[in-house]
Amino acid sequence: MSEVLIRAEHVSKKFSKDLKKSLYFGLLDVFSGVIGSSKKRELRGDEFWAVKDIGFEVKRGECLGLIGHNGAGKSTLLKMLNGLISPDTGNITMYGKVGALIELGAGFNPILTGRENIYNNAAVIGFSKKEIDAKFDSIVEFSEIGDFLDMPVQNYSSGMKVRLGFAIAAQMEPDILIVDEVLAVGDLGFKIKCMNRIQELLKNTAVIFVTHAMTQISNVCTRLILMNKGQVEFSGTEIGEGIEKYFLNFSSSEQKVISSKNVFLKNVDLHSGNSGGGTEISINSGDPLTVVFELEVEEEIKNLRFRIGIFNMEYRLLAEVDSDQVRFIAKNRPGGKVRVSVDIENLFLRFGKYTIHLHVTDKDKNAKVLRMSDIAVFTVKPTLSVGADFLMPSKWQQLE
Amino acid sequence: MILEKRVYKSSGSYSLPKIFLECLKGYKESFYLAKQLAKRDLRAQYRQSILGIFWAFAPVLLSASIWIFLNLTGTVKVSETKIPYPLFVVIGTTLWSVFVECLLMSISSVNANKSIITKINFHKEALVSLGIIKLFFNLLIKMGLIIALMLVFQVSLSLSVLWFVPLLVISMLALMSIGVFLTPLAILYHDITRVIPVIMQVLMYLTPVVYNSPKEGFMKTFMALNPMTYIITDLRNTLTGYPIEHGGFLLIFGFCTILFSLFAMVVYRVSMPIITERMSS
Repeated sequence: MSEVLIRAEHVSKKFSKDLKKSLYFGLLDVFSGVIGSSKKRELRGDEFWAVKDIGFEVKRGECLGLIGHNGAGKSTLLKMLNGLISPDTGNITMYGKVGALIELGAGFNPILTGRENIYNNAAVIGFSKKEIDAKFDSIVEFSEIGDFLDMPVQNYSSGMKVRLGFAIAAQMEPDILIVDEVLAVGDLGFKIKCMNRIQELLKNTAVIFVTHAMTQISNVCTRLILMNKGQVEFSGTEIGEGIEKYFLNFSSSEQKVISSKNVFLKNVDLHSGNSGGGTEISINSGDPLTVVFELEVEEEIKNLRFRIGIFNMEYRLLAEVDSDQVRFIAKNRPGGKVRVSVDIENLFLRFGKYTIHLHVTDKDKNAKVLRMSDIAVFTVKPTLSVGADFLMPSKWQQLE
Repeated sequence: MILEKRVYKSSGSYSLPKIFLECLKGYKESFYLAKQLAKRDLRAQYRQSILGIFWAFAPVLLSASIWIFLNLTGTVKVSETKIPYPLFVVIGTTLWSVFVECLLMSISSVNANKSIITKINFHKEALVSLGIIKLFFNLLIKMGLIIALMLVFQVSLSLSVLWFVPLLVISMLALMSIGVFLTPLAILYHDITRVIPVIMQVLMYLTPVVYNSPKEGFMKTFMALNPMTYIITDLRNTLTGYPIEHGGFLLIFGFCTILFSLFAMVVYRVSMPIITERMSS
């Protein structure tokens, strides 16, 4: 059960930036293709490598996650793996039946009914008439389309179309499965159903999974490749590490005032224990963090309340601290300078980069007077690779 | 269980027999898909239409009746034809419209299915078969029109009618092959799709479609150089009880067509992956 099903060796693909040139090169390629020229492929004119020298193997039962920013070359690589376009150098060898969850509902005609379109789409993705007849009922059941089966597909909601498309694709029993961000639509219930079906397929297939949803990656993948500008930036089984590399690639965002009334942030300092200073700091998981900030506040505001939010790189709010929780109120000083320090204890965050957001409220009027994002950044040094956001402290003992 | 193995590598040298076998396999394996897509297209086309198959022969009927009208009123003087002029024109324009359709068949088929080509891996030969199925569907309707008209004019058939079907098939194959050969180019440059109808329009007047080939003069020389002249003339002859006039030419034509169609098939197979990367979905 562990034979290699996908093998890519030194795969590269080039593209041209200019349409006219691209068409002309296409013409030349067709010509040299037909006469069977095996001249070496080098960059011509304004071409660039969309994918450069990528190699990997995926065995049965493994799942390779492919991540990278937009334009990193993921889709191009996927198209080559799917045999839609051929590589310019290197080669790809695939063993067994390939199923692709790239485009759902390909071949649908909007005028025709759901029933008719099941046959169209199933034929497009490679089913025979006999197979479709045999699987028809399970497709209908999986899709939850019910009474709308005989309605033209143009009257379906987009969710229904996707559901029907996935229901058909889910009937494939491939050796190799290629999944490209198809699960972005549909309601939660259906998403779960899809993930379950993919997990089911995982056991007996070699899977290549492309998505921007990192939680899905860490749930499903056994190997990870991070692509950047067509090249491999990270490749390995340490999923967490690869994901963080992916996030660290995004340039950290700048301080941004979302709304401000009579309050201005002057200075921020981060500390942890004895180290620190400045707006960037690196800590260990479980370390405390102290945020010191200085505000300039107009005179009419007397009492201040604060809230600090911690966001991860996926821009998800992970934790908050609020001065109201401990009944702390900061008073405006003559001259309008307010300096506050807050200690946050035991940040059991996993490896990654986090940003801090600040809210300031006028306590008396109960009005928000300052909202600012990314006032400071801290990095948690590598921990055990975990899928969850927190690596909680724990005590273990063996019992008799 | 032995798993099917596929290798994708840069398109370099290939062996002709191997590619050729792959083509045939492609046609065979994708036939169900082609049939299904043809069913889809035809159903959708007719479901959203009141007049339905009328549209398959309406343009032909219209242009034929214009010529019949021009001739009847004496606006245009057409030299005497062997068979009644209305029949002459209808057969001519119908066959011509079939030829134009043949030429554009693969290009429009590929264009209409771009969205699947760029996303799903299937035998692209299916698109050619799909075009052929639709073509023959339309042909049946148009032939119905011709047969009806032949009954009206009480045309007497001769044994030469047996040549009609093979002759029609081979000339359709010739035009389809030219279309398939041009498809990669036409996908890259849209000029091809625009220029084909124009050329075919001009060529129609240089071929005895709506009038006979003149007995002498420049036009006679020109029509003699135009291979379509022989094809149209003999197709019409076989259908209306006259013998084939240009047997020798048609034999060579048939032989060349078969060779060329094989060549076009290989060109299509080799160039489709190259074209796919230049295609937008």
